[in-house]
Amino acid sequence: MNETVKNVGLFALVGALILLTGVMQSWNTAVLILNMGLISAIMAIGVNLQWGFAGLFNVGVMGFVALGGLAVVLTSMPPVKEAWAAGGLRIVAGLLLGAATIAAAVVVNKRMAKSGKRAIVMIVILVGGFFLYRGVLDPGVAAVEAVNPASTGYLGGLGLPVLLAWPVGGLLAAGAAWLVGKTALGLRSDYLAIATLGIAEIIIAIMKNEDWLARGVKNVVGLPRPLPYEIDLQQDPAFVDRVTSLGLDPVTASTMYVKLGYSILFLVVLLILLWMAQMALKSPWGRMMRAIRDNEVAAEAMGKDVTARHLQVFIIGSAICGLAGAMMTTLDGQLTPGTYQPLRFTFLIWVMVIVGGSGNNFGAVLGAMLIWFLWVQVEPIGLWLLQVLTSGMADTNPLKQHLLDSAAHMRLLTMGLILLLVLRFSPRGLIPEK
Amino acid sequence: MSDNPWQDDRGNKDATITRKEGMGQATVHAGEGQTHPAPGGPFLIGEKMTGGYGKGPDILHDCTISVDRGEIAVIVGPNGAGKSTAMKAIFGMLDVRSGSVRLDGEDITDLSPQARVVKGMGFVPQTNNIFTSMTVEENLEMGAFIRTDDISETMEQVYDLFPILREKRRQAAGELSGGQRQQVAVGRALMTRPKVLMLDEPTAGVSPIVMDELFDRIIEVSRTGIPILMVEQNARQALEIADKGYVLVQGRNAYTGSGKELLSDPEVRKSFLGG
Amino acid sequence: MDFLNALVALSNFVLIPAITYGSQLALGALGVTLIYGILRFSNFAHGDTMAFGTMVTILFTWWLQSMGWHLGPLPTALLALPLGILGCIALLLVTDRLVYRFYREQKAKPVILVIVSMGVMFIMNGLVRFIIGPDDQRFADGTRFLVTAREFKKATGLNEGLALKATQGITIVTAVVVVALLFWFLNRTRTGKSMRAYSDNEDLALLSGINPERVVMYTWMIVAALATIAGVLYGLDKSFKPFVYFQLLLPIFASAIVGGLGNPLGAIAGGFIIAFSEVTITYAWKKVLVYLMPEPLEPEGLVQLLSTDYKFAVSFVILLIVLLFRPTGIFKGKAV
Repeated sequence: MNETVKNVGLFALVGALILLTGVMQSWNTAVLILNMGLISAIMAIGVNLQWGFAGLFNVGVMGFVALGGLAVVLTSMPPVKEAWAAGGLRIVAGLLLGAATIAAAVVVNKRMAKSGKRAIVMIVILVGGFFLYRGVLDPGVAAVEAVNPASTGYLGGLGLPVLLAWPVGGLLAAGAAWLVGKTALGLRSDYLAIATLGIAEIIIAIMKNEDWLARGVKNVVGLPRPLPYEIDLQQDPAFVDRVTSLGLDPVTASTMYVKLGYSILFLVVLLILLWMAQMALKSPWGRMMRAIRDNEVAAEAMGKDVTARHLQVFIIGSAICGLAGAMMTTLDGQLTPGTYQPLRFTFLIWVMVIVGGSGNNFGAVLGAMLIWFLWVQVEPIGLWLLQVLTSGMADTNPLKQHLLDSAAHMRLLTMGLILLLVLRFSPRGLIPEK
Repeated sequence: MSDNPWQDDRGNKDATITRKEGMGQATVHAGEGQTHPAPGGPFLIGEKMTGGYGKGPDILHDCTISVDRGEIAVIVGPNGAGKSTAMKAIFGMLDVRSGSVRLDGEDITDLSPQARVVKGMGFVPQTNNIFTSMTVEENLEMGAFIRTDDISETMEQVYDLFPILREKRRQAAGELSGGQRQQVAVGRALMTRPKVLMLDEPTAGVSPIVMDELFDRIIEVSRTGIPILMVEQNARQALEIADKGYVLVQGRNAYTGSGKELLSDPEVRKSFLGG
Repeated sequence: MDFLNALVALSNFVLIPAITYGSQLALGALGVTLIYGILRFSNFAHGDTMAFGTMVTILFTWWLQSMGWHLGPLPTALLALPLGILGCIALLLVTDRLVYRFYREQKAKPVILVIVSMGVMFIMNGLVRFIIGPDDQRFADGTRFLVTAREFKKATGLNEGLALKATQGITIVTAVVVVALLFWFLNRTRTGKSMRAYSDNEDLALLSGINPERVVMYTWMIVAALATIAGVLYGLDKSFKPFVYFQLLLPIFASAIVGGLGNPLGAIAGGFIIAFSEVTITYAWKKVLVYLMPEPLEPEGLVQLLSTDYKFAVSFVILLIVLLFRPTGIFKGKAV
């Protein structure tokens, strides 16, 4: 019982911190922290599933999150008809050709005996396929990107409801995870870490450069929302009447309404995932995963297919990250590939999981909320701290100016410090695995 | 799961971020503990040793093993009798809770294995006893790492004892055959010019012909005046070359005597030598 | 004549840049591979270690410049380099003392050290940004070119010019010297051999009287030197930006792994493989091909296989291909 009290206390503490932000700074900031915290919590559950339950080292979280973001564009944006007419089919044909080339190479690699001849055939297929692919794809890409480049210049999406993009984001990430896992998860040892690190970079490179897909670094803005726009609410007499009767300003009330609406949506998703993760943990499947983790040799001797189970959990964990990525892009209302950075989207999630407690779902959620709170608040706190420390110096002192200018970088320093302190003094995290 | 949270890697086996081969098991104790003079008695003796690994149960019970100058002493016994454990206890790789270890008139019970090497103990572990990626010569050099004087003479002596090593001295030790690797391992231990040599199952996993050759070499080493303490699985052959033999059963001394005595003891023959 | 022109264009735009970049990657990968071989984990903080060493060098360069010290035609940074190395050594030894040593005493599993190195990465990254800021810094001075394109054209009468930047020359010469020194150290000196022995078999090294703490200390010192040199050479050749150095971690890891982690020779080979693939795949080949192809076959487009923005992606595709066919890298087996 004591433990439950402690855990509830920890969650209450994070809640209090967010409420304090509301009182001291602004409720807007508080709800923003809450929303991103909830999304981070989902990412942390995904990583915790992989690392905590299966010991899989995924350092490509950023890539799966970005794929989720891409899914939002591909699902919810209206299709650009002119672009499809200009070169859409050509692009599809090019991509199919590319896929066919790789498939052919894989088949040759499997069917033919290892020899110099196989190598030559492979090279011919790959090189020939590449030029064929580029030959078909490039004109299509040029045509699509030429269609009204200032506002579209891409194929657009399917024009489906944006909430549908969330599971699609999960599926997209799962697909990428399947590809990575299939190649990188071996029997005796694996090389998942470097493969995920690489695939994340590749995904971001593609999203930045393939303008026909999602406009690259030109960003896609104005993504559809699952909730009404503030401006519509403010013009809705029923809404205005209701909030004024409650004594609230319609403008503030409308923004809070939308933001809290997101909070509720995210909370629902988080609770469902948390429930599923807990059920999985307690199920025979979860017991098997832990048996594999704690003694792989024995588990294998009992006839468990370790590699297949690892692949499974890797795909599920990545899918959850993709789902969270889609949710985040929906919240942002825009897809900005330039903002995906490994420190923020891969390593910070790791800090959340380790600080919260690897192997414990509630720990992951708590760690995510707490670390996200700090990530946002360390900057103002650091600035305040430096102001206090340098208050004795003259305003023209170059050291003081430098310190105050650099306050923004306290954030990374603090995250590293927290990770090291937790690893050293509370290595099982805030809420340890049972 | 381990009690130590930092030793729990969650079954991770990612070869791109971690390297497990060659990782040490032993804990580092750099030269802790004191010695004090304890004159008299055999050259090397582990007397009435009781102890086990870490906080685990006792494996040895009142076990005494000794070897004197010019002797070959052999520890034999059934599987799980604590043969290797007894040797490790003498070498300081075990928590000896009572009893003492004395070398050349000095009580060294509190010394770490590394400090015992400095005191003149040469130890050849049963497995992983060579640097596989280094050449034979480099293995010997590393054996002499604690020495600051000229080692070329000792190296020549080792090459004279094991001529095949001279031939292969530029070759990576990991590329040698099983018997040759064991010679490298013994040679490495000899490089410190030890006062006593301890061998843990030197013939494990080699063919009978190679085993005979290895025993010949060990006798030659012993003729240079170094007392040898050896654990052996092949009890009969080992006792044939032994001046002194210890039969251990469940961590206790069961029979002790000269090699010949034990070989002719009907009880020992019946229970341990297969008739 | 056409063939010579093609060769010169190839050297100018592919060979020289790739060799330069390859040398920088190789030096970086050597650091990663030494830590992997001896301390048994992949150090995620390596890119930021490079950034720190380079930053210290830059600060000293500025100081030397303000004192009016110069190396004539050579960049002042070379004078500041030893100080940068010392600064980096100090940082790594302090980090080891405060952070890593505890985990060695605990006999922590390598994967825990990987996570620890993530924390160190955050701290070093923040530290560098805190001290020098996140912006681009140029600190190269001295002669810009050893050979300019115009001089070359005049001397040879060819259409294509060959330019050799001073920083490219310095990079290649320094890399050769450093690698030679490193191999001499590892294979010929007692300390170097003891490091290899420790990497090979920790327990036996302990039995042989090798002090693990000394081995670890020397490893950090060598790694600091390698990282600083690699970082300064890269910064002289291009420019210094903390985030770029953090990102360099990716091709450096790729180089070390392609070559076979833990193997110094592999790290060097890997560095050049990654550099050459990045440069050749993102280079627009038209310039070379116009000289080689008969007129009707001359290419219309740029003949660029992938846009330069894909250079990190290229290194990973190469890496994945190598891992698919040879999971232990090209030089498998022998570590350090």
